[in-house]
Amino acid sequence: MNYEFLAYGIINTACVVLVAPLFVSLVKKVKAWTQGRQGPSVFQTYYTLAKLLKKEVIYSRNASWITRVTPWACIASILVASLFVPLVYVTAPAGGIGNIILFLYLLVLGRFFMALAGLDAGSTFGGMGSSREMSIAAVIEPTTIIVFAALAFVFKSLNIIDMAGMAASSGTVVAPTLILLGISLFIILIVETAHIPVDNPETHLELTMIHEGMILEQSGRNLALMELSAAIKQVVLMALLINLIVPWGIATTLAPAAIGAALALFVAKGAILALVIGLFESSMAKMRFFRLPGLFMMAFFFSTLIILIEVFT
Amino acid sequence: MILVAFAVTAIAAIVLIALSRTHRQMNAAAIGQAIVFMAIATWILFFVQVPVDTFIVGSGYFFIDHLGLLEVLVATFIFVLAAVYAQGYVGNLLASHELEAGSLRLFYAAWCLLELMIVLAFFSDNLALFWIFAELTTVISAMLIAILSARENIDAALKYIFVASVAMIFAFVGLIFLFEITRSALGAGTLNWTALMAHASSFPPEMTVAAFLFIFIGFAAKSGIFPFHTWLPEAHAKAPSAVSAVLSGVLLNVGIYGIIRVFAVVHQTAAAAIVTPVLLLFGIFSIAIAAISMLPEKNLKKLIAFSSIENMGLMLVGIAVATPLAIFWVLVQVIAHALTKASLFFSAGILHRQYRSHLSADAPDDMYDVFRFQPLAAWGIILGGLAIIGMPPFLAFFSKFFILLSLDSLSPWVLAIVLVLIFIAASAIGFFVISTFGRTTPPGETCDLVPYRTPLSMKAPIVILLALVLALGLMFPAGGYAFITQIVMELRFA
Amino acid sequence: MSDPAFFDGIVKILFVCVIVTSAYIITTKNLISLVRVYALQSLALMAIALSLAWYENSAILLAIAILTLVFKVILIPYFIATVQEKIRIKRDIEFHFLSPTSSLLISLALMIVIYITLSHVLSDTLAKGSLFFFGAVIGISLVLMGMMVTFSRKRAITKVLGYLSMENGVLLFGLFATELPFIIEFLIVIDLVILILLTTILTVGIDSTLEEYHNRLHRFYLWEEQEESP
Repeated sequence: MNYEFLAYGIINTACVVLVAPLFVSLVKKVKAWTQGRQGPSVFQTYYTLAKLLKKEVIYSRNASWITRVTPWACIASILVASLFVPLVYVTAPAGGIGNIILFLYLLVLGRFFMALAGLDAGSTFGGMGSSREMSIAAVIEPTTIIVFAALAFVFKSLNIIDMAGMAASSGTVVAPTLILLGISLFIILIVETAHIPVDNPETHLELTMIHEGMILEQSGRNLALMELSAAIKQVVLMALLINLIVPWGIATTLAPAAIGAALALFVAKGAILALVIGLFESSMAKMRFFRLPGLFMMAFFFSTLIILIEVFT
Repeated sequence: MILVAFAVTAIAAIVLIALSRTHRQMNAAAIGQAIVFMAIATWILFFVQVPVDTFIVGSGYFFIDHLGLLEVLVATFIFVLAAVYAQGYVGNLLASHELEAGSLRLFYAAWCLLELMIVLAFFSDNLALFWIFAELTTVISAMLIAILSARENIDAALKYIFVASVAMIFAFVGLIFLFEITRSALGAGTLNWTALMAHASSFPPEMTVAAFLFIFIGFAAKSGIFPFHTWLPEAHAKAPSAVSAVLSGVLLNVGIYGIIRVFAVVHQTAAAAIVTPVLLLFGIFSIAIAAISMLPEKNLKKLIAFSSIENMGLMLVGIAVATPLAIFWVLVQVIAHALTKASLFFSAGILHRQYRSHLSADAPDDMYDVFRFQPLAAWGIILGGLAIIGMPPFLAFFSKFFILLSLDSLSPWVLAIVLVLIFIAASAIGFFVISTFGRTTPPGETCDLVPYRTPLSMKAPIVILLALVLALGLMFPAGGYAFITQIVMELRFA
Repeated sequence: MSDPAFFDGIVKILFVCVIVTSAYIITTKNLISLVRVYALQSLALMAIALSLAWYENSAILLAIAILTLVFKVILIPYFIATVQEKIRIKRDIEFHFLSPTSSLLISLALMIVIYITLSHVLSDTLAKGSLFFFGAVIGISLVLMGMMVTFSRKRAITKVLGYLSMENGVLLFGLFATELPFIIEFLIVIDLVILILLTTILTVGIDSTLEEYHNRLHRFYLWEEQEESP
């Protein structure tokens, strides 16, 4: 039994669950500031989740077992995926955990169940959200694969935890093209976590909902789980970006001081990234749906370019 | 000294044009410049030891050898006649307000500048210099096409600029390849043709093939080879006829000249075997596309333009064969084509002035009673058409005949295909002439066309050119034979 | 003289900038941003020339960089922008013959094809280091991408910018394939300037009636008052 890895698992999951709602509120706060408002408190998401957990769960009359299973499937898949990306502490991976392709498909698993649940209640909003979500997923997947392939090529490993370890041990940015890869990862972050310009996370207008549309039918504890899994997804992708591009400060030993420092540093870096996301979101309008493939095409082109440069030189 | 003379004449002419106030004066300046140019060229022919490679200005960049001199002689001669023709033609354009008086100065200034650029291009030794002069001729001639400022002219001019310039960029890439080849083979890169010819045998074949193909793209577009010929029919048809004659007779030669020069370099390396089939293929496709497009064509100037493409294709085929005989007759074909095509365009211009259609310049021509109104122009088209398709005793007969004969040494099948295609082209011209010139108003009806009084300045060039083509065909001067044989030797084909 | 890995890194990032700008030129519909992106591309090119000049300690490359800066980053974009303002044709909607997505995919395929072809031909520059070879590949890719723009768009201004992009590609190719003498760059610039001048003048007329065209030419002082001539 690999105790180090077990410890890693516990620490990572705890940090992820702890920090995820913070970043969601941070982004909202930044957006509020740019709009000239005060915005909700940075701990608001915690209060919201706590409130939701106390509320009653209601299922639609047409809902099948899928609506009941989905929140659990989502949270389970995203928590497993969170094991793949080290937040504060890096160690040697075990048992195939950390494989980047597996990571991608764990994310897809959650998305799959969400889409089904959106259709399940038989409401139009859910159906529309599900179909849009699936189209976006289909179009962004090649880009994601190419970006992950580029990462694998640069770090010479298919394991995210190994990549993070390598990034942490080398003092500087491993290759200048990593900066460019950072841009691609940022685009994927925006798409996967349903930010503007892909989707508006604060809307409830029927024609503009994608992610919101799929979780419209959830209530109470289920809704809390869905919101939490979305928040964890965001923090996991942020960690991917942060710990591969700017990994300084991540702990490589089990010392509590190191881990505490790493956590603080991660929150700081994450806060900066959340600031960037918030500013980015505020600076543009949500794109019309049929124009999204054009944007993704540019992202695909950009990523393929990076991988060509890495391979050819 | 020689180059300075050319440049000074051109500048003087442009200054005169800037100062003149009437069309007559400007035209006189243009004619004057063309005559002076031709005089200088003939002086070089008779009194200067060619090849010349030292000048007061531009030694090492410019270079006069027999091929350049031949091209300049042909070019200046055509310019003289075209300038004379322009007196009547442009005058008529002004009178009918198709050309605005305000753009007259621009027209003649561009005309003089074009002639200077062409002469400098033919006399360049450095290929990069040749490239820039060829580019400049594209731009200036496009300006001449667009001078009529009708929407379709601007369209045609823009298409011409874009196709030719884009292709020339490829040529430049090829020149960079060539530079790199010489740098690695000789230590110091050079783009001088004389140096390239001297050291060609030491060039690595694959890079030479790549360089040649890129350069070929550029100059093929300039001379209207398939598939870069798309600009040619429109541009030549919509330009004023004086300009069309220059475009067809002289500018296409610039392209073929470039191809000959670079092929002469490649011919000495092992790359020739790879490149020859490519040239052959492009040449045959050009003839094919020209012949097939000529059949349904109802516009005279477009028909003549396609005939240019056909002739250029045939020249390319001749170059591809690369035997001394073939190259000799390709050069004769250059002379024959330039002279005959110019006369054809002059005649077409007269007919255009007569039957001025208010539709687009490339709509089907609406000609009837041609012999009654413009007999000279009609006979100009008939004789010119006979000349261009290679009917004896015109000059083109001999050149086409011997080029085809040399094809036989390559492959009889190719000869058969080309012969069929040339026949199709010839029959297309014949069909057009018969169907259009045969149209007369039925005896009962009156014809309300105002006969156009062709001034002598428009009739004389046609007669001169056709007489010259006939005379050269009947009796090619022995000095001419020696001259062209000298060219073939200088190009190291013999 | 300087650290090769650093030079490597910078040049790689600049390569990506150059190609991304070229991709943007292919896919954009906004005429105003088109000129700015072209200026950006020339700036990236100038930076590449500067780094090459620094790495190889060559004065000619420095001169080329300065020439690029003056003409392609400052003067030509300024001129085109001025013309666009004057003629006030700010039509943002372009006509595509080739949709943006397919043109991007084609560009990627082209780059791979060019890489394979060039590796057969340029067996000797390969020795200089694969970065230089990749520079040559990118140069030719830029030429072909520019050609796609010139031939698949309807508006003349976009065609002109495609042509300018092609010239940038040729410059890039020249920088990496061989040691260019200064005269070559000078010739390119002359060619560009004249071509741009002429084409913009013609473009001025392409979208208007004859009356407006004559008015505009008059505004550009190209053409004096009507005179009577025999």
